[in-house]
Amino acid sequence: MPTIEDLQRDTDSAVAVAAPTSVATPAPPRTFNARKKKKPWKSWLLFLLFAGPNVALLIVFTYKPLLQSLYYSTLQWNLGSASAIPVGLGNYVAWFTDPGTARVVTVTLIFTVATVGGGMVIGLLFAVLLNRKLHGRGAARTIVVAPYVLSGVAVGLLWLFVFDPNFGITAALLDAIGVASPPWYNDPHWALVMVIIVYLWKNVGYVALIYLAALQSVPRDVLEAASLDGASPVRAFRNIVLPLLGPTTFFLSITTLLSSLQSFDIIQAMTRGGPLEGTTTMMYQIYEEGFQAGRAGYSSAVATILFAVLLVVTLIQMKYVEKRVHY
Amino acid sequence: MTASPTFTINRRQILKLAAVFGATATLAACSGPSLGAGAGAAEVAVTDWTGIVPAKEITWWSNHPGTSKLIEEEIIKRFQAENPEITVTLVTAGANYDEIAQKFQAASGTNSVPDLVLASDVWWFRYMINGQVLPLDDLAKHLEFDTDDFNKTLYDDYTFTGNHWAIPYARSTPLFYYNKAVWAKAGLPDRAPKSWAEFDEWAPKIAADGGVTPLGLGKGASWAAWWFCNMLWGQGGAYSDEWTMTLDTPEAIAAADYLQSLIYETKVATVAAVDQVADFGAGLTGCIMGSTGSLTGILKAATFEVGTGFLPEGPEGQACPTGGTGVAIAADRAPEQQLAAGMFLKFLTNSENTAYFSSNTGYMPVRTSARDGDTMTRVYAEFPQFRTAVDQLETTRSQDWGRVFVPNADKELTTALEKIMLQQTDPAEAFAVASTAIATSFDQNVSPYL
Repeated sequence: MPTIEDLQRDTDSAVAVAAPTSVATPAPPRTFNARKKKKPWKSWLLFLLFAGPNVALLIVFTYKPLLQSLYYSTLQWNLGSASAIPVGLGNYVAWFTDPGTARVVTVTLIFTVATVGGGMVIGLLFAVLLNRKLHGRGAARTIVVAPYVLSGVAVGLLWLFVFDPNFGITAALLDAIGVASPPWYNDPHWALVMVIIVYLWKNVGYVALIYLAALQSVPRDVLEAASLDGASPVRAFRNIVLPLLGPTTFFLSITTLLSSLQSFDIIQAMTRGGPLEGTTTMMYQIYEEGFQAGRAGYSSAVATILFAVLLVVTLIQMKYVEKRVHY
Repeated sequence: MTASPTFTINRRQILKLAAVFGATATLAACSGPSLGAGAGAAEVAVTDWTGIVPAKEITWWSNHPGTSKLIEEEIIKRFQAENPEITVTLVTAGANYDEIAQKFQAASGTNSVPDLVLASDVWWFRYMINGQVLPLDDLAKHLEFDTDDFNKTLYDDYTFTGNHWAIPYARSTPLFYYNKAVWAKAGLPDRAPKSWAEFDEWAPKIAADGGVTPLGLGKGASWAAWWFCNMLWGQGGAYSDEWTMTLDTPEAIAAADYLQSLIYETKVATVAAVDQVADFGAGLTGCIMGSTGSLTGILKAATFEVGTGFLPEGPEGQACPTGGTGVAIAADRAPEQQLAAGMFLKFLTNSENTAYFSSNTGYMPVRTSARDGDTMTRVYAEFPQFRTAVDQLETTRSQDWGRVFVPNADKELTTALEKIMLQQTDPAEAFAVASTAIATSFDQNVSPYL
């Protein structure tokens, strides 16, 4: 094992080697010619060859639609019509002053917080459970992860029957304990609870899978050392494992947030935004306004607002949350 | 150890980003609608059909209403046997009318537009103001369509600015379905109630002796505001008088009050959670208002004998809306394509094929000759319930513009009706919100294009 003196010596020698270089050869000023020498035309050709197709696809399928949507948001345009009327920020003003906007934003917030927060907590619990040496662990892992790979529409249709208050399994189970089935489809609040449950059921496997991989990379010696020092399993988990899972939590917080805010399939299959628009999130509103109402300009304005929200939230996460992450 | 990556962006990165966005903005500006209020339907050019040779291939977008894919394929087969030079490609372009409409609107301006497309009661008008469909009168005259034989209400449903914009195809109306076994238990005559007043008298017996909730009501878009026409018109009210919303009239409020009283006062009606037809088929409710298009399915699924009748009358008499879909020809196609599409449309809706389609699906025979022909007569003999639906056709009327011609109007009305049915909201309050929203939508999305 190296002693403190050894480490100090190694550091000193490294500084000794590096120091003359930095002092003797100061970096030359970066001139146009110097850059040209570093990147000759062959390098550019190679760059274009490898990055070109990807950049082109990104421009055509991501940036162009994004900017087109931004442009359409300034138009009063019926989807399908060959002409449109410029209205400037009219669609944005209309959305912000619409009495229904507060409800859509509230539904979006509740859905997002519940699915992201709930998904992370439940996913982590599953991961911890599946990381233990249990009998039938392989089968359990498959069962937990399987719903994630299913189609959202198929999952929605399946749960449509499960929650049916007359014929569904939930009604039968609740009936067995003498409780009446909640009005899942006729009460906007219960309907929101229902789609959140189904979303969690489908997506929690993804969180569990990623956390499970991260848990398996937690060094055992650190945990053993903590145990020898008398730390309880709970304290070791809170003070050692959770901090070490920081990068994973950060990654999951971004991906699940983006996924939740863009959720559409389960809502479309189960409630179509109803009843009483109780499950209409911003994402669903974009679809409804654009394709049901045919108000392409208004729909694009909502899409742009949602994009801005996603961008700001992601930037905040990157700027502030990531600083607290331990690598 | 703690990493502290900082998120910074320098001048060069900003310039690169600006360059990418600038390039893509240039690309983005190259496409999209032209600016300025378009005249929509008025911009469709008049075609001289003489001398035009029909195209060899045409495409038809359908959702096969009434699970009619095999029926539609058979009609295409028959058409191609008579016209071997024309091939018709049938495309399943959606699961319902809304999905078809979404795709048709999204395809506008591309070369993916079909030659023929289903145009439902709530979509054809939007196709028209967008300039997406062809006025059919000249083409029908050139092809010698027998338009006088169509049921007048169903044919004139597609009239605006003096032109017809679609031809009736899978047309339906709401119909009163009742469980004969429940009726018998309750000691009621084997018929539908003539009026809502009579239903009010019968309902307690249905609940007490029949052992079921007397009436099942459906909710959801494209549905609730359709059957509610019966109660609304029956009270002498309407959604609108042309473009002016009339939901604040005493008649309209009375209709909604009556609907609400069925659920909360007399408690003889329930709002289905998922599907009122399934609930009825399972024997949970004694009667429902369902589409005639569901007739075949209900008869097959029910484990009891099903009776049908006219929708009950209101104080102002019998009231029944039309619904379902017609078929339109796309405006953005070459005249050769449109001519071939017109030939197929004429064949699709001729007397023989109308009867063939109706007898296999339960949709209305849209031609008088088909209604009275041998095929349908045999169907009436086998399924007397069918005859009721056809007879009721004579009492129908076209729907209010305030529901079917204004984008989002059906959704706003559905929300208002759901508030009335599910949350016991004051009808005047719920209707006021819907009326304001529909009037705004008209100003923004219809008025500039008329």
